[in-house]
Amino acid sequence: MPSSHNTDPPVDESEIKSSADHSTTKLEQMRFRRPLRLGIQFVIWTVVIAFFVDTVSAANGLTLSGGSRDELAIPQWLYLGTGGATVGASALLASFVTDRIFIRKIHEWNRPLLPVDRWEGVVTKVGRAVGVVILILTIYVGYMGPQLPNASFAILVTFAGGRAALPMVAYLIGNVWSILNPWRTIALVLPTGFQTYPSKIKRWPAVFGLLTLVWIEVIFPVSTVPTVLATAIVGYSVVTLAGAVVFGVDPWFENADPLAVLFGLYGAVAPIQRHNGTIQVKLPGSELTNAEILSDTSDIAFVIALIWELTFSGFITTSAGAGTVSTLVGIVPVELIPTTVQATVVYTVLFVVGFLVFFAAYWYAANLSRQWVGTYVSTETLRRSFAPSLLAIAAGYHFAHYAGLFISLSPALVMALQSPFTPPANPIVLTLPGWFGGLSIASILVGHLLAIGAAHAVSYKIFASRLVAIRSQYPFVLVMIGYTVISLWIISLPSAIPPFLQ
Amino acid sequence: MDYIRTEVPPKQAPATSCDYCGRPFAAPDRLTLHKGLAHYGVISASEKESFKSELADEADELRTFRLKALGMLVILYFGLLLMYAIFA
Repeated sequence: MPSSHNTDPPVDESEIKSSADHSTTKLEQMRFRRPLRLGIQFVIWTVVIAFFVDTVSAANGLTLSGGSRDELAIPQWLYLGTGGATVGASALLASFVTDRIFIRKIHEWNRPLLPVDRWEGVVTKVGRAVGVVILILTIYVGYMGPQLPNASFAILVTFAGGRAALPMVAYLIGNVWSILNPWRTIALVLPTGFQTYPSKIKRWPAVFGLLTLVWIEVIFPVSTVPTVLATAIVGYSVVTLAGAVVFGVDPWFENADPLAVLFGLYGAVAPIQRHNGTIQVKLPGSELTNAEILSDTSDIAFVIALIWELTFSGFITTSAGAGTVSTLVGIVPVELIPTTVQATVVYTVLFVVGFLVFFAAYWYAANLSRQWVGTYVSTETLRRSFAPSLLAIAAGYHFAHYAGLFISLSPALVMALQSPFTPPANPIVLTLPGWFGGLSIASILVGHLLAIGAAHAVSYKIFASRLVAIRSQYPFVLVMIGYTVISLWIISLPSAIPPFLQ
Repeated sequence: MDYIRTEVPPKQAPATSCDYCGRPFAAPDRLTLHKGLAHYGVISASEKESFKSELADEADELRTFRLKALGMLVILYFGLLLMYAIFA
């Protein structure tokens, strides 16, 4: 902690900057420079390959088989540039708002909605029962029911429900998973807490868990073969219940369970929040200025993992992504190893390296921000305070990627919920109207605007000088522009089936 | 504000630090602003005076900054308008 030196002569600004980056951040820089350089090279090469592959396949007319949705009326670079410029312009516009009291009032505005105690007991009991019944039905139908992806109760509930609809509920309305979570309900009746949760490992198990779940979703046919899905859910249940029994219910679900952490963080974006026993309405995204949402580097890694998993699963289902994977698999001239193994390795490496690049970009932005404004506020504080605003970006991506899936499968989901055991012969799958692509673009941009607003308010909380507060945001805004452009690029590409996977 | 941690570069004494909470600052004007914002109830009259004059200075700088930002927005707007006129 700081010592008191009151009367030192004012130090030259440039001197402060240079000595700041030579001492405290030097270690971090050295640790990150090499991976960063490799990462940047990787991104450049991936983009080059992707563009190359995309033009080649378009010239061959292969994209037609993937169901082209390339309907851009303007050149692609102009579309991407406009998206990036929108985020940049909104950051500039936000910098015009310099009234501290106004900014604080906006982000603290709330209206009490309901006291919790009157109905909490009933709702919790019903919600928990529903969660457990659905979990049991999902596993049972997954093994015993029909093996049809669009009609299986197990697949529809897991993907149209758990993957698409529940996160949407979490960030658009409020987090209901804390009540529904069937594993938590089951763990509550088991004897628990034989070990104390090692506080050293923070939320890293949840980060690892989330990446593993997405990896399984990509590599194994969990979204098409109900028995595989049911096996995956059984495996997840065993791990989760074992963890909750050993370490206790609350420590496990607050730190190590990827789904509980995911829904908790998405819930921070929502307009409905719970504070001291009342349900409050707040402005969407205003809770993201709360510095207590994230407390450690592992939490930041989780937020970045949320953004990256959506980017990655979006990317590999485009023609450019499929082309990149095919090219990379073709590069390695190993005849002995089966193609599926090679493809698995390629998917895994792309997934892990991409995550590290996204993480390094954010990590480096905080270093840059600290040097740029020459502040004594630690990079760790900057990282932790600005990271919640990225949750709004993740929510925007999620909506862009999954709202369409949810709407097109919702009739089938309703039918499956009505009769889990007897699937309809012809499940209805809705075709989305043309303007839905526009809604995806809009949701990505709205997520970024919320993030810009939250970052602006956060910087005003940290810095006494308003000019410093404005300038401290620049590197973070640049990273956000980067994420936006990548995401807008992905949703503009024609869709394709990821190669080499069942 | 207790979630804000600070790190002063080890070989360097902090330029200034707050008498009331000990937070170090890299420049005296930032400290003056911090005292006024975080400890207005307890600071002395002279500190209040210098806070007010620092706020006025800051307002001037912000006005210059706003003009620059407005300039950027205009360039961005007309740049995009031109691009759309040519390419779309």
